[in-house]
Amino acid sequence: MSAVALSANSPKNAGRVQPMAIALLLPITIVSLVGFVAPVANLLVLSFQKAEGTGALLGGFTTETWTTVLQDMFYLHLILNSIATSLVITVLTLVTSYPIALYLHRSRGSWRNVLLVLVISPLLLSAVVRTYGWIAILSDQGVVNRTLMFFGMTSPIRLVFNMTGVVIGLTEILMPYMILALLAGFGHLDRQAEEAALTLGATPFTVFRRIILPLSLPGIALGSLLCFVLAVSSFITPKLLGGGRVFLLATEIYDQAIVSLNWPVAATLSGVILIIFGTALLFYTRLLKSVM
Amino acid sequence: MARAGTAPSQDKAFLVLHRLRKAYDDTLAVDDLTLEIAKGELVAFLGPSGCGKTTSLRMLAGLTPASAGRIVVEGRDLTHVPPYQRDMGMVFQSYALFPHMNVARNVAFGLEMRKVPRGEIAQRVVEAIALVRLTGREQRRPSELSGGQQQRVALARALVIRPSILLFDEPLSNLDAKLRDEMRTEIREIQQRLGITSIFVTHDQVEALTMCDRIAVMHQGRLEQLGTPEDLYERPATAFVASFVGRTNRLKGIARGDTVETGGLSLRTCGTHQGDVVVMMRPHRIVLGEAGCVSADGRAVNRMTGCVIRTVYAGDVVQSDVRVADSIIAVEQSNRGSGELPAVGATVTLSFLARDTLVYPAAP
Ligand SMILES: Nc1ncnc2c1ncn2[C@@H]1O[C@H](COP(=O)(O)OP(=O)(O)OP(=O)(O)O)[C@@H](O)[C@H]1O
Ligand SMILES: [Mg+2]
Repeated sequence: MSAVALSANSPKNAGRVQPMAIALLLPITIVSLVGFVAPVANLLVLSFQKAEGTGALLGGFTTETWTTVLQDMFYLHLILNSIATSLVITVLTLVTSYPIALYLHRSRGSWRNVLLVLVISPLLLSAVVRTYGWIAILSDQGVVNRTLMFFGMTSPIRLVFNMTGVVIGLTEILMPYMILALLAGFGHLDRQAEEAALTLGATPFTVFRRIILPLSLPGIALGSLLCFVLAVSSFITPKLLGGGRVFLLATEIYDQAIVSLNWPVAATLSGVILIIFGTALLFYTRLLKSVM
Repeated sequence: MARAGTAPSQDKAFLVLHRLRKAYDDTLAVDDLTLEIAKGELVAFLGPSGCGKTTSLRMLAGLTPASAGRIVVEGRDLTHVPPYQRDMGMVFQSYALFPHMNVARNVAFGLEMRKVPRGEIAQRVVEAIALVRLTGREQRRPSELSGGQQQRVALARALVIRPSILLFDEPLSNLDAKLRDEMRTEIREIQQRLGITSIFVTHDQVEALTMCDRIAVMHQGRLEQLGTPEDLYERPATAFVASFVGRTNRLKGIARGDTVETGGLSLRTCGTHQGDVVVMMRPHRIVLGEAGCVSADGRAVNRMTGCVIRTVYAGDVVQSDVRVADSIIAVEQSNRGSGELPAVGATVTLSFLARDTLVYPAAP
């Protein structure tokens, strides 16, 4: 790293662009070139290569994997299912996190700090641990079902090892991210503007709809983008809470790469995820432009 | 009071504040505020920064709950009525515009809430924007306006709904002198034409004196005096009011009957007093020169000589500080263009009528 910093300081870049800016940006540029752009490029190259059944790569160039994947109903289903599930999870995360974020945004002093720590504390535990926690809560012998049975329900409801479990678990796991993103995007909220609306005759609900909601759109957009991306790419939670019955892009990529050793398909599906992310990012920038 | 327009009906108390109080953890922001305002009246809240003006308005608008006391409008107790049911318009000290709406949408908001028909909204918005001289800027967002322009949008937004009560929290603080003058006239005209009972917070005493029917002077959360501009200026109830409204000379002394001994001077005062007092007199009621003031009816005149230590030419008036015995007395003469400035170091004669003095017990 110090070598990078040194070369960045060399004055050969001193032109019209501010040399200081370049010097400051160079390290992170190199890191992301080496750590992100190169692997992704490598992945995309992989998706255009042939492979044997044993997993050995044969090199060459073929679009065969892409065409098979995009024509196979199983994969198309998988893609749509992943997008739909992630959207549902994003909406649920948003709905559950929004009131908390708003309350946090408005609280002051040490109470606010206590709440913030409470909100962030789940991030201190690994998602694996939290996922197992959800299994303990939601399984047939778990807290929820036992309580329900105690009150007279005859058979347990299936809350885990299916889509319900994945949605519940991921929603909770993503809530801290959503809350932090919402808080970051709440800068335009203005208590005085809300009060002005009240004096102009707006009911609290109208104030929410006409003032609070539009002003918090940047936060909503940011949080939704973040959670959608995290939901699409999340792997451990769907794997564990899905109990092998839930098929999503990330789990399928794992299976293809590690179990079937079909790297080109895994690489192609990863490419599909990148395309989904790109589209989401496009939506996000569009939305931001329209509100700001 | 000779003022044009519909005279406020003095008989009935339209808006009553009864022993209104707001206590924060460590401060008593408003203390025992009792006030009656007639329908159509424009009352100024005048006072130094932090005296509780904004807090009073916020309690009136229902934005801050009162710690104690009642707010009654037309016999109806509004103390616990939510702000959106109070029919009061408010111009916020910090404008509080809707940042995501353009000027026209900001102004239209209150009308939309009142379910005014679309066509009428459009027309009234255009009128209101013209009134505050912002025609042509309807499509701008608040962030694309100057402070003064934002303030005028806030003004238009509150005026356009024609509420039964209007609360202005320093609505002209950010305007230049000419625009401020125009806006004062416009506000007064609309307020009188529509008979909107209004409270106008300001710490500009000229504004309070020139445009309001009555003035409430506040000090540290308390109402010091409520009266017409003339009452306040000519008959200030407390030393604070006397010094806050208009300029005054302020001398400490000991009263014995109708004379006060102060700093080597013996002043004839109006009324009789005893003990430690402060004596005040307005600089422009003091006459400079040999002739002095005449009291045709033989009333007491204070006359003294002193040495000019400072002279300031302020356009319309000339202000001089004169050392008399141990005190410094400020004198203000209107500039008639003929006389010369009193020279520094010159010995001059001052005179003023005993009835122009104001005497208050000294603060303990
Ligand atoms: N939310 C609050 N919490 C605690 N104290 C407050 C609060 N709001 C106002 N105060 C205090 O109440 C007092 C009155 O404040 P207020 O805003 O009413 O003053 P003001 O007369 O409007 O002053 P200015 O002319 O500067 O606007 C001040 O001492 C202020 O510090
Ligand atoms: Mg104020």
